[in-house]
Amino acid sequence: MKIDHGGPKLGIIFILIWILSSPAAYAFNYEGLSFDGHLESRGIKPINSGTPKEDMSYELELDTERDLGSWGKFRIALRAIDDGKVIDPRNKHPFNTFNKVYQDRNPSINFDEAYIDIYTDRADFRLGIQKFAWGRLDEINPTDNLNTQDLTEFAFPEQSVRKIGAPAFKADIYSDLFNTEIAWIPRYVPYRLPTPEERWFPPILKPPTVVHSSSGDIPVTTHYEDIDLPAFKLSNSEIGIRISKYIKGWDTSISYFSGYDPTPLITGTTDITVELLDPSSFKTQIKTDAYVKPRLHRLQVFGFDFTNTIGKFTLRGEFAYYAGKYYSRKTEDIMREETTKEKQKEIMDKFMKNYFESGMKESRQVFHMNPDVEEKKNSMKYGLGLDYIRGDTNLSVQWIQEYIFDYDKSRPVYLNKNGVDTTFTISIKQLYLQDTLEIGLDGMYGVEFRQYLLKPYVTYSFTDNLKGTIEARILQGRYTDSAIGQFRDNDEVYLSMRYSF
Amino acid sequence: MRLYLVPVMFFIAFSMALAGPCRAAQMTPYQIMKKSEDLLDQAKDSKSDMTMILINKRGSKRVRELISYGKNLDNGVKKALLVFKAPADVKGTSFLSWSFPGKEDKQWLYLPALARVRQISSASKGDSFMGTEFSYYDMGRHHLDDYTYKLLREEKVGDQMCYVIEATPKEKKYYGKVISWIRKDNFIPARMDFYDKNGRFLKQNMIKKIENIQGINTPMYMEMHNVQTNRTTIIKLSNVHYNIGLPDRFFTERYMKRGR
Repeated sequence: MKIDHGGPKLGIIFILIWILSSPAAYAFNYEGLSFDGHLESRGIKPINSGTPKEDMSYELELDTERDLGSWGKFRIALRAIDDGKVIDPRNKHPFNTFNKVYQDRNPSINFDEAYIDIYTDRADFRLGIQKFAWGRLDEINPTDNLNTQDLTEFAFPEQSVRKIGAPAFKADIYSDLFNTEIAWIPRYVPYRLPTPEERWFPPILKPPTVVHSSSGDIPVTTHYEDIDLPAFKLSNSEIGIRISKYIKGWDTSISYFSGYDPTPLITGTTDITVELLDPSSFKTQIKTDAYVKPRLHRLQVFGFDFTNTIGKFTLRGEFAYYAGKYYSRKTEDIMREETTKEKQKEIMDKFMKNYFESGMKESRQVFHMNPDVEEKKNSMKYGLGLDYIRGDTNLSVQWIQEYIFDYDKSRPVYLNKNGVDTTFTISIKQLYLQDTLEIGLDGMYGVEFRQYLLKPYVTYSFTDNLKGTIEARILQGRYTDSAIGQFRDNDEVYLSMRYSF
Repeated sequence: MRLYLVPVMFFIAFSMALAGPCRAAQMTPYQIMKKSEDLLDQAKDSKSDMTMILINKRGSKRVRELISYGKNLDNGVKKALLVFKAPADVKGTSFLSWSFPGKEDKQWLYLPALARVRQISSASKGDSFMGTEFSYYDMGRHHLDDYTYKLLREEKVGDQMCYVIEATPKEKKYYGKVISWIRKDNFIPARMDFYDKNGRFLKQNMIKKIENIQGINTPMYMEMHNVQTNRTTIIKLSNVHYNIGLPDRFFTERYMKRGR
């Protein structure tokens, strides 16, 4: 929801609101069938002037569960949102699809999860749209790569909500020695990004509007294209295996994932158009069209995680080794390579050659460029977390680091500095009035890029069903090409009122 | 309230029925408690529905509904699983505890919103359980040998004559002492007073309804009033069943996530 679109759109969301305002629509549980959910209205007030304002948004979540007795259950969780997005007139239905990065429906409906569980003595099976949760850390989980995320509002809301349910099969097999979780995703479900006009579209994914070359400034027109999904065949499916064991107080797991990297990776091709404006003086005009497109690469991840309590603390740890992970090279570095005098001369020489060979007919020619925008590296990501609970106070701190092997400083990549990216997170929560009032602070600090995100908040439960939240979201960073720093003008105050039923 | 029935409150350990008042009069307070434990262990496992009503000092109420499971293992390990059913914003939250004789407990919390099971420190057991006047320690399961006992006097609670027994922890981790009023007619506690580690009166529990279920006297209605905060939590039990054959694997992460 990130731009002003001239007033909130109503549609089916409000019909549902009306239905739910009826006392008869309250949660029920009848012979194994339960019906829960929440209705939430949200408002955003940008703090920095000059950033797009936002309309109120509304969200309705419906969670229906049918208990099938001792052998299983059936569950559907739907999330409907009216959030003022840019609307593509070609959209015919409100359901977000599993094949697009740029979801531009409004109102939109997501199948968060929809699955059937089958329980047996030694194994549980789940078939349908589902979310996985691997690893022990909070919000950043190096070993958790099965689900992609909805990044249309950057790092908001929390990770479990951002995750996109994937049509998958899961088997949990239990034995006296260890437990094994096997996940199979037949077809990759892409992550989601806001459309380029929206407030949370990552600036680092936007090419410059002008290229400065030795022959003058060259205007750049950018075209955003959606993802090409891999063909629907077995070799393109994704698989994960996680083996867990409780050893003398330690909850431990080892895991393996083979599938597509869930991290957004954008590649770009460029068409350079050279047009001869005046044959007598050989005056030319040069324009550039950049085609930006999400690109997928397969990835293997080997991981382990653990947790235990030590005195008053809970220790959590997670480690992942990425075999063959792709990183996006910095645009400025690519531009420097692609706009050398030699390359410009090469293009102009080709243009003139074609021009004369065509009998001076081809006065307008297009040259396709396919720059090397990615770096393939092995890397690892790991972290430790420590929790402390005392009375109504919760404190959690984490240290998370990514390290790229054989990092080439002459070919820098985004979101990593000289092969290292270190993040500290903190979460403090204080409860008052029998847990009805919660005051907290979530924070994140990136060491190499000197960036931080702070989220102080207050939540109050007016009743068991009605809860209000006010939260500030402060983003700052020294560098505008860093994960948080690129959004340093997006500070905002967030208000929400949620009715659970 | 049963240690292993609904893993709620160690004060039940101080209070379960004995064979008869005349025998109890000849027993030391510790023997009374040991006898209670032995009677409690008649049932290997249990299941019950629990309603918690939280009342603040202004009198406004909030209601929590749970299902509680408990099991005693032959090696002295006691396991308990609590699953929240209402209200909607905590539905599916579950709490698992394994209590080992002579060792620190193990505790896990599953929050559906995070979809992850989190191990939590048992050193924080003195903290409030989900905003109630009961602590995690109260909700867990305990060992009689952690306390020493003294018979203080006999006096009435309402129209019931009671033994008044003081339990003092050998190590003051959570309470300074607990005084129990044990009914002489059936040896069920009628009242329990809890004192904090500084010796100040902290909270009082009144057990107002008892039912005999499958031959076991079971407190069905309890009212815990915190005199320091002027807040109250009521616990009501229903659908109590003993010896239903819960397997060990029920008290694992698998069933925490499954929610039943």
